[in-house]
Amino acid sequence: MAAFLSGISVVCFAASYAVALACEASRLVFRSGVRGAAMVFFAAAGLFAHTLFLTWRAVDAGAAPLSSPFDWYLLAAWLLAAGSLWLTVANPKTPIGLFLLPIVLALIGAATLASREPFLHDAASRFWGRIHGGFHLVWSVSVVLGAIAGLMWLIQAGRLARKQAPLRGFRMPSLERLANVTARIPAIAAWAAAAGFVSGIVLNAVNHRRGLIEIVPWTDPVVLRIAAVVAWLVAAAWIASTVRRRPEGARTNAWLALVSLAVLAGSIAWGLLGSTRHGKPAAAVPAAASEAAP
Amino acid sequence: MTLALVGGTHRTVPLALRERLAFSAEQASEALARFRDRFPGREGVLLSTCNRVEFYAAGENDLAAPPPEQLVSFLAECRGIDAATLAPLLAREHDEAVVRHLFGVAAGLDSMVLGEPQILAQVKQAWAIAQDSQTSGPLTAGMFQAALRTAKRVATETALGRERVSIPSVAVADFASGVFERFDDKRVLLVGAGKMAAETLRYLRAAGARDVVIVNRTASRASDLAARLDARPAAFDNLVRELVAADLVVSTTGASDHVVPLDLFMRAEGRREGRPLVVLDLAVPRDFDPRIGERPGVWLYCIDDLAAACETNRHSRQRQLPQALAIVDEETRRLMGDMHHRTTAPVIEQLRAGWTETGVAELDRLFRRLPDLRESDRAEIRQAFDRYAAKMLHPPLTSLRNESHSGSPHGLLEALRRLFNLKE
Repeated sequence: MAAFLSGISVVCFAASYAVALACEASRLVFRSGVRGAAMVFFAAAGLFAHTLFLTWRAVDAGAAPLSSPFDWYLLAAWLLAAGSLWLTVANPKTPIGLFLLPIVLALIGAATLASREPFLHDAASRFWGRIHGGFHLVWSVSVVLGAIAGLMWLIQAGRLARKQAPLRGFRMPSLERLANVTARIPAIAAWAAAAGFVSGIVLNAVNHRRGLIEIVPWTDPVVLRIAAVVAWLVAAAWIASTVRRRPEGARTNAWLALVSLAVLAGSIAWGLLGSTRHGKPAAAVPAAASEAAP
Repeated sequence: MTLALVGGTHRTVPLALRERLAFSAEQASEALARFRDRFPGREGVLLSTCNRVEFYAAGENDLAAPPPEQLVSFLAECRGIDAATLAPLLAREHDEAVVRHLFGVAAGLDSMVLGEPQILAQVKQAWAIAQDSQTSGPLTAGMFQAALRTAKRVATETALGRERVSIPSVAVADFASGVFERFDDKRVLLVGAGKMAAETLRYLRAAGARDVVIVNRTASRASDLAARLDARPAAFDNLVRELVAADLVVSTTGASDHVVPLDLFMRAEGRREGRPLVVLDLAVPRDFDPRIGERPGVWLYCIDDLAAACETNRHSRQRQLPQALAIVDEETRRLMGDMHHRTTAPVIEQLRAGWTETGVAELDRLFRRLPDLRESDRAEIRQAFDRYAAKMLHPPLTSLRNESHSGSPHGLLEALRRLFNLKE
């Protein structure tokens, strides 16, 4: 059993998700009675392998979810893959996988570039670290879901404005449903991001007092980019609540959601490329240590 | 086995004559009872819809299906129409063409609106009436069951019936449903009392709409319509207030100018709190100023917009037609093969019986000569004889089956009868 579990690699579930994505994309080209079942099968197989991989990481490597940037990305990808599968089964005519699976694959790709070095294992830092990482996970996943709802809103609104009948096999959710998502997500993302930031400050203080790490300065790239993201998400939530009752509110929220995704992507890219003291032990301050989790 | 069909559709029979030729369910039952008396032992099914009247007849052996001319006279007699008037307008088909036609009809390929699904229910009803009238039989049972299977295949394996082609259905399913997730919490406002409004409302009701308000210049007309459509009437003077409250407007007045000009709409827009508004302007000339469609949150569709979407869907259905016809062809070949194979059954039975009879006689003789054989040895020998008979019969039976797929195997049957001295 252990040999089987240890044999599961990132490539296994990434390949399954890629095949599921290809099945989903094929609905634009031709009709098939078995495509839906094939898509669900490969997505479910990928999710199963993904779950086993994360479980094995937790059991064998002692790398509980969120314990390293690598695990953080894979857990975010897992959440989105599970959401994609659930939404596909619940709404088989909506090509939700076409929007979600590329992001799942992008997160898996980011994971392969991210550090596998665990964060600190001290009990207190682990507690605050999980809260910190958990909130970051919530806002990141929220931003992705909001952006997908926003993109779908723009596609659906474009079709309705052009007065075209829906494409066969490519039925989008209604504007009303999508607008509800894009109107609510900014507040969720802003609260979670702010809570993640505050819990990060607490974590930093706890670790520094115990002498586990050098204090992470306010000018640290990670602190700066997270602060910028929090500021943007708070501003986006405020704009969303302001325009909610205006005729152009839904469109504005759709664009806000897409900009939020761009901010998240920029933040991830910055994290993958930049150097930081974030999450590093006191003795090790590498010249260009890679740190990727937002 | 013979199959026959006579019938007329919207393409061949003028409406006035079609109305006289149409059968209600009771009239169809009476006609089938008369058919049973007139042509005993034959099978008959009468399909009568607003667009077609068709009589399918079938028979076997000495009781062949009545010739089409007799069926034309029969239909004319049932409906009290001069047969000479009817005869040139009705189509006639025989055997395989009957099956192919029925399959196409059941799949909606012969309908006025290509791929419309209602015809399938009418085919089922026609078959049920024939069963009740005891004019159904094994031939028509095979045909109609295969027709239902063919229609199901066409519906599931092609997109023929998926795209909507009527303006009200496209307006609701492709556009209003693209904006709103649900309709049970939406206010529907009907402006005017055109026929299209009632039809559109039917689709909206099916989608869940409950709160419907009707505004008309003539208050009494609005009240009458409201009573008929289970809606609330409202005064035309309150149009702005109703536009503020509405989520979806269906407008079908006969006004010669815009009923809702831009300035009137702007008075309502500011009080709508940004809620989206879908306007289905089905009037000609248009009731809503087209500039209203450029306002944020307003989704305005005029009849030309919807007609264009319907036309696109019609083309899309047409593109599915070859695939649907291929399914009809395949199912027709399959059924005809099965039907022809049925006609070989008596010959096959006689062949088998002859071989079995001869085998049993020879075995009895053998066992009398070898009385010391154990029962297990006898069983082995019997099995060997059975296997031998089955193997010897296999090639001719396979040839018969293969020949059945390409038509009735009369030649082979005749040869077998003569070679093995079988009875007719």
